[in-house]
Amino acid sequence: MVQRIEVFTLTEDGRAKTLEDQFKKSGQKVDSVRVVDVYTIEEGIKDAASLDDCLKSFTNPVTQKAFVLEAGQEPANDYMETAGDFDWALEIGYLPGVTDNIGHTASELTALTLGRNKTLYSSRVILLKGTLSEDDVKALAADLHNPLIQRASNKNKAQFTKEGGMDAFIPRVVLDNKGAAIDSVDLNVSDEELITIGKEGIKNEDGTRRGPLGMSLLYMQAVQQHFAKEGRNPTDVELETLAQTWSEHCKHTIFASPIDDIKDGLYKHYIKGATNEIRKARGDDDFCISVFSDNSGGIIFDDNWMITDKVETHNSPSALDPFGGAITGIVGVNRDCLGFGQGAKPVLNRYGFCLADPRKDLEYYRGKNKMNPTLSPDTIMKGVVAGVEAGGNQSGIPTPQGFMYFDDRYVGKPLVFAGTVGVIPREINGKPSHIKSAKNGDRIVMIGGKVGRDGIHGATFSSVALDEGSPATAVQIGDPITQKKFMDAIVKEIRGLGLYNAITDNGAGGLASSVGEMGESSGGFCLALDKVPLKYPGMQPWEIWISESQERMTLSVPAQNIDTLFKLLEKRGVEAWDIGEFNNSGRAVLTWHGDTAMDMSMEFLHDGIPETPLKTTFTRGGEPEPDIAEPSDYAKMLIDMMGRLNICSKEFVAAQYDHNVQGSAVLGPIQGRGRVFADATVSRPVLNSKRAAVLSQGLAPRYSDIDTHHMARAALDTAVRNAIAAGGDIDHLALLDNICWCSSDEPERLGQLKRAMAAIYHLAKTYRTPFISGKDSMFNDFRGYDADNNPVTISVPPTLLISAIGVIEDVAHAVSIDPKAAGDLVYILGETKDELGGSEYYDHLGHLGNNVPEMHDEPNYALYRALTIANKQQLCASAMAVGFGGLGVTLAKKAIASGLGMDISIDSDLRLDKLLFSESQGRIIVTVSPDDQSAFETTMSGLEHVALIGEVTNYNHLYINGIKNDIEALSQSYKSTLGGY
Amino acid sequence: MTNTAPKAMVVTGYGLNSEEETAFAFERVGFNTVIRHINDLAENPNELYEIQALSVPGGFSYGDDTGSGNAFAQKMRLTIGDALKEFVSRDTLTLGICNGCQIVVNLGLAPACDGQYGVRQVAVTHNASARYQCRWIDLGVTSHKSPWLEGVVNMHIPVAHGEGRFMMDDATLKTLKDNDQIALRYTKDGKPANGEFPYNPNGSTDDIAGITDESGRVLVLMPHPERGMFTWQRDDFAVLKDQARRLGMPLPEEADGLALFENAARYFGVNAMKKTG
Repeated sequence: MVQRIEVFTLTEDGRAKTLEDQFKKSGQKVDSVRVVDVYTIEEGIKDAASLDDCLKSFTNPVTQKAFVLEAGQEPANDYMETAGDFDWALEIGYLPGVTDNIGHTASELTALTLGRNKTLYSSRVILLKGTLSEDDVKALAADLHNPLIQRASNKNKAQFTKEGGMDAFIPRVVLDNKGAAIDSVDLNVSDEELITIGKEGIKNEDGTRRGPLGMSLLYMQAVQQHFAKEGRNPTDVELETLAQTWSEHCKHTIFASPIDDIKDGLYKHYIKGATNEIRKARGDDDFCISVFSDNSGGIIFDDNWMITDKVETHNSPSALDPFGGAITGIVGVNRDCLGFGQGAKPVLNRYGFCLADPRKDLEYYRGKNKMNPTLSPDTIMKGVVAGVEAGGNQSGIPTPQGFMYFDDRYVGKPLVFAGTVGVIPREINGKPSHIKSAKNGDRIVMIGGKVGRDGIHGATFSSVALDEGSPATAVQIGDPITQKKFMDAIVKEIRGLGLYNAITDNGAGGLASSVGEMGESSGGFCLALDKVPLKYPGMQPWEIWISESQERMTLSVPAQNIDTLFKLLEKRGVEAWDIGEFNNSGRAVLTWHGDTAMDMSMEFLHDGIPETPLKTTFTRGGEPEPDIAEPSDYAKMLIDMMGRLNICSKEFVAAQYDHNVQGSAVLGPIQGRGRVFADATVSRPVLNSKRAAVLSQGLAPRYSDIDTHHMARAALDTAVRNAIAAGGDIDHLALLDNICWCSSDEPERLGQLKRAMAAIYHLAKTYRTPFISGKDSMFNDFRGYDADNNPVTISVPPTLLISAIGVIEDVAHAVSIDPKAAGDLVYILGETKDELGGSEYYDHLGHLGNNVPEMHDEPNYALYRALTIANKQQLCASAMAVGFGGLGVTLAKKAIASGLGMDISIDSDLRLDKLLFSESQGRIIVTVSPDDQSAFETTMSGLEHVALIGEVTNYNHLYINGIKNDIEALSQSYKSTLGGY
Repeated sequence: MTNTAPKAMVVTGYGLNSEEETAFAFERVGFNTVIRHINDLAENPNELYEIQALSVPGGFSYGDDTGSGNAFAQKMRLTIGDALKEFVSRDTLTLGICNGCQIVVNLGLAPACDGQYGVRQVAVTHNASARYQCRWIDLGVTSHKSPWLEGVVNMHIPVAHGEGRFMMDDATLKTLKDNDQIALRYTKDGKPANGEFPYNPNGSTDDIAGITDESGRVLVLMPHPERGMFTWQRDDFAVLKDQARRLGMPLPEEADGLALFENAARYFGVNAMKKTG
């Protein structure tokens, strides 16, 4: 007997009102909206008193009323009366197998109340009043749900009344597997068939394919040869495991392969190379502790604490399900923090979104003839913003720092960056906390959530371009509370007890990846796939092994500690399973009810991957410098620039992200009375230490259209400069690289990549800022069709995100962006040159240009050193790095933030528009109290480009070389572009 | 810490997340403080006899699913419901912050008009904007019956919530007013916010940000005093720091939020001089 518990809100409901406004704004003829929360129980609760007890946890009696509906029975007398006046009912629920967090909580509450398990599923009914046709309602439904993960149904009022409400729907997973088994895959086939297997997957008995392995012919041949030597065919589990382990996503083959004359590959040569050289040069001042060897990078915070950082991308899933992709991104990178050393405590999140213009209706399809449309830029933006909001806020981790960058080439492949900073004592039980290693004889323990089909082929799928064949099972939704429970248990209670030898997260590739990696340190493993707990029966052994179901960690636990560990976890509501053993057999072994499902050498698994030497070419891009007319109205031009997507305020995002939780916020994302979005934030992650952490990021994707060398340098310089401006110390600053490239199988793209890596290698060395962690995503291309059915490929501009994390000695050294007092002096540090190639200004005028910002490394470094010293003496009242839009925009942002005016006069040979909007790197604007003028100028002495350009005033105007702008008008333009979101 | 220090307990588990900074505040003003997981407290509810102050801190218990605070309140009701009622009936102090406010209200420990502890009388529900809001706000203390708020006039502290809108029927609102149980209201420039966003960040009835039970000993509030207890935490820290430096004055270390905890310590006889620092 299926029951539907329907909870009606009787008072004004903010959710309903907001939907109503949203519909009205989009021109729908909707007069009013009501939201009804629905919980469906497959086996209903018969006893009235028990049912009543359960309802208490679903209903607030002050504002709500619940009804219990059963199929075939008339609803209660006042049901229709309570439903009130409406024309259509629209119900949205999850599809089978999709993570249903509300349903999960409802089930848990019911079990708690009744003392026995019941499965509940959540859904939501929206009652609509208005002049709407069924097509209108279907259009509304299309806006409100994602058919990849949700279902929608609708009834008009007559039907609803006649049938006693909506129909019950149980989204239980029914897998049509004829008994899960291990299959052997015949590799004695032609190269053509090998190619097909690699591209489309292993063939099922009925001729269908299991989904992409993402294996090239070269890889397939290596597997073929290996098993020919072994005298047998691989099992499906073995082939799937190899595909996963050798994927670009996991092995970073492009970065590891010899490329042109660089035999040790880009990663070892440039990224790791820079870090090694910097560490050596710094000698006793080296602050790196654990870099590139763990799930995060760790540096010294103070004598007692280490601080860790990791930034991940979650691009492909976010294109299909923006909310699920982004929430999984943020809770996933939280686990990279927990999976560092003995387990670091997450203390800060960061985010970044590269998106298409949300105001544009860009129409693309994955399939021919308007099949399988891409999501609109607006839907993607709202979804990814909401995903990080849910993941970060629910996990109780502040999310202060982030960015949004817009370019329409991100339409098919948005980039979603998610990062987590952690802290961990440098020693735990007298041992360095970053050391971990699975030992021979340790049990393999999985904790957290169970395994479903979520994210099957996620690792291999993110290594290929998105097209029509992109698997829907690649979509997952995170469950932050399940994760929070084990995170708290590990970090706050269990970590200090020495019960495990190693911990790592289950991310891309699931158990195959985590157990495979941990098994490297012991030298082998044996795991029983039938011991892995499943969300629903009927999964195939290979699916269990590579599933990317979220909220799981793998621990390596000495057998004698199992009972203690499991009891502690149980007390915190965390499930744990003993699924196998790490050993030193040299073999990677899986069993399935006693049968061998996999038995490969660890060596072949990890090192059998064939080397693919890469060749590159490079051609500089760009157009001739445009001959543009001088603006006739400079004031208006500045106002227009302030409203550009890459310049305008992102406050609507910042205000949704809790940046104060943990009580650590010092300088938040919104600064000054005038509320301006800041490019760096400062936090105090250890409450009883005066030290602070500064976070910032930098990127400049459009410069790639001219030269990725300068794009990469601008990204690095911007990240460093933003951090220094906020009070960072150039001698305690580390970097993370996230490389999001496109078509990385083309020599020209690889040439762009090589230039970019060489560029940051040299610049990082000059700045003495080591890389401590990084991640790449190499195929951000969309292949599909436009509205006219023409095939299109849209590649993202080669995008390098550099994130900086720095330690500030004293929280008092932090500097905000807003000028503080009239009469203060305004300085520009750094040189402004005719460098508008790829700038916001040129783009505003429809040009790309050629003069991309270049820079002189040593003078920049000298400037950042000098500013570090000035900030330690608190000589700057405010500081802000000059970013997109140049000096004009940065001065305007500072004026808006302060609510004060500025009177600026700059000497320059440049025409005023070039002076105002050039994006020359290496520049910072600071304001200084007249009392500190001499001390400040002394500190800056010896620098070539330090200019006093004006003063802060009490008037509501910004004057730049005689151009007068009303600050209120600038502010309005700055805040209105995305203000409606 | 002396043995005579009062004892405080901060509850945690299932997605509550502000227990550490809340415990830090209690400890700072002189309480002997424990952080207790609800499952441990459920095993040993008698521990409530040993403490003087109880706080349910902020967080996202059960992900706010089924209505924020609802699920955790149900868990507390089923496991330690009677012990809690007994606890508030004694001369103790209880503080519910943000998610803790929603939980304590759902437990019916506030406002508990007419002594009806255990009956839900008000709701704290979805913001009028239906959107999570993290921002600094101004509060006016509008009732002086709570020991938590003794001597406090205004507070500048942050909110961070998606469901902070106090709602109730007119009769309940009148009772709260008549009983002087509306402890904190959102203000704009020292005057009532009158529902204006963002000063009243959630559309709360009558600008209510916090209420008490009839005794004043149980205080629940949506804003976060523990995130505004030091000057360096404030949104205008950089401005205050700059002003102090220009004037050659020291920058006060403590900010508004700490007053609540200091009041609680004083209520249990902690001499202000004895505070740990």
